[in-house]
Amino acid sequence: MTSSLLEVGTWRDLTKVNSKRSFFLAVCGAVIGLLLAGYALFTARGTSTLMVPAEDVALVNQQPISRSDYLMQLQNLYNVELSHATGEQRQKVLNDMIREELFVQRGKELDVASTDPDVRNALVNAVELEIASDAITSQPTEAALRSYYQAHPERYASEGIMTVEDYVFPANAAAAVSLAIDALKIQAPTPDLIARFGGKSSGKVGDEEFYFAAKIHLGDRLFEAARSLPQGGVSAPTDMADGIHVLYMHKNVKPALLDFGAARDKVLSDYRNERIRHLTTGDEAFLRKRANILIADDLR
Amino acid sequence: MRIIASLVLAVCMVAAVLLLRGRYLEAHVLRADPGSIPSDAALMSFATGRGRPLFDAHCASCHGLAGRGDRAKGIPDLTDDDWLYGTGQVIDIERVIDYGIRSHHPKAWNLAIMPAFGRPRPSEADAKITALAPPQIRDLIEFIVHEQGRNADGAASARGASLYLGAGGCFDCHTTDLRGDAAIGAPNLIDKVTLYGDGSRQALFMSIANGRQGVCPAWFGQISPAGTRELALYVYSLSHPVGSKHDK
Repeated sequence: MTSSLLEVGTWRDLTKVNSKRSFFLAVCGAVIGLLLAGYALFTARGTSTLMVPAEDVALVNQQPISRSDYLMQLQNLYNVELSHATGEQRQKVLNDMIREELFVQRGKELDVASTDPDVRNALVNAVELEIASDAITSQPTEAALRSYYQAHPERYASEGIMTVEDYVFPANAAAAVSLAIDALKIQAPTPDLIARFGGKSSGKVGDEEFYFAAKIHLGDRLFEAARSLPQGGVSAPTDMADGIHVLYMHKNVKPALLDFGAARDKVLSDYRNERIRHLTTGDEAFLRKRANILIADDLR
Repeated sequence: MRIIASLVLAVCMVAAVLLLRGRYLEAHVLRADPGSIPSDAALMSFATGRGRPLFDAHCASCHGLAGRGDRAKGIPDLTDDDWLYGTGQVIDIERVIDYGIRSHHPKAWNLAIMPAFGRPRPSEADAKITALAPPQIRDLIEFIVHEQGRNADGAASARGASLYLGAGGCFDCHTTDLRGDAAIGAPNLIDKVTLYGDGSRQALFMSIANGRQGVCPAWFGQISPAGTRELALYVYSLSHPVGSKHDK
């Protein structure tokens, strides 16, 4: 009785030995240790094991063949799900994947990357992907995307649309051109009206088209004159090699900034591409810095 | 004192049992045929319970907490039965989670983008795709609207049809019957589901003129294989609620 009371009294007193406390702590330690060991046994990576993890279908020299890749391969090859695949189909896919893994491992041993350009390209792509993985998987915030969108408005504008007529007059008919311009300011053009002043359509434009197409058809100089014209507007005469040109604008829808929602997927794509470029450049600089690169005298 | 020690021991044992049970079920979820898990209520409940927090952490920022997406941003609704990539099977969903869409991952769905036909170079990847003029785009829209069974300008629709099957090259991805191709993520143009906007002529003009290239990130290596399967099953459950006509 006295000894038991003494034990209780010393349970919290860490300066005194208490056999029950010692036993209790030992049991706790053992249980925690067993739990950790069990967990590590099921989840260990990079260690040699005789057990195939649940997420894999095989280990080839401890290299896992992923179950998800196996299922995808089964679907690609036979268009069946695992439960509907025959034993033969399952075995064929598994054998193919094991064969591939064995050959990849042998390829590494043989250092085929030093000679095969396809392998070298694949390695470069894979390393670039690895470098970019942060940018690929991280989801930028809406605020970051909006800020990027606002910083690059020129990338997210719709293409302008115009319907413009281009009339050409003889080079020595400046007075007639002036009269034609006055006439066009008060009435819409007709072939007769233009012909009355000695002009004709250049035939380059006339249909509704996007700005970039109008620019190609009109040329830079006439396009610059056209883009600022309002609907019903007439341009000043422009001297060109083939005569004097006058433009009449039927319709001019100027480029408009797409709202954020409409442009979001392109903003996201551009944002991500820029981050990937940034990461790749940074990593290349780091690799160059730590590498020992010797360059031949004649190429320095 | 003995009682306290027993209690602590019991708690540790229960924790260990729960942990082992979790590991066992997790392994079971991984080893089972993904297509058969939805018919196993206990396994499905275990998987979706663990998939939900993963969805909240990785997917909800775009698809929303309820998974309904956002048509203004072209983010797909995961609760309907329309699947842009694949057929909506668990394994298809898992593939999207793992490798993404246009995510730069080599195993991602990267095959096609919707060209911007109102730009000088509609597709960076294919120089043979040429731009269309605004009236041509409007003709195409009339054709699509006509095929959807809505009122359309007959002459413009006829011109649009020949563009669709000819110079526009639309049939190449969306197929000649306009029903799309889930193997490359080309949407069905005549069903009731619209990915971008409200299906109006203006929204269609925006898509054809400016192109589309939705992106879903690749989570491979960021989410464990078990987590990916659980997340895929959770996403599957959004469009196959228990007791629905899809619940098999």
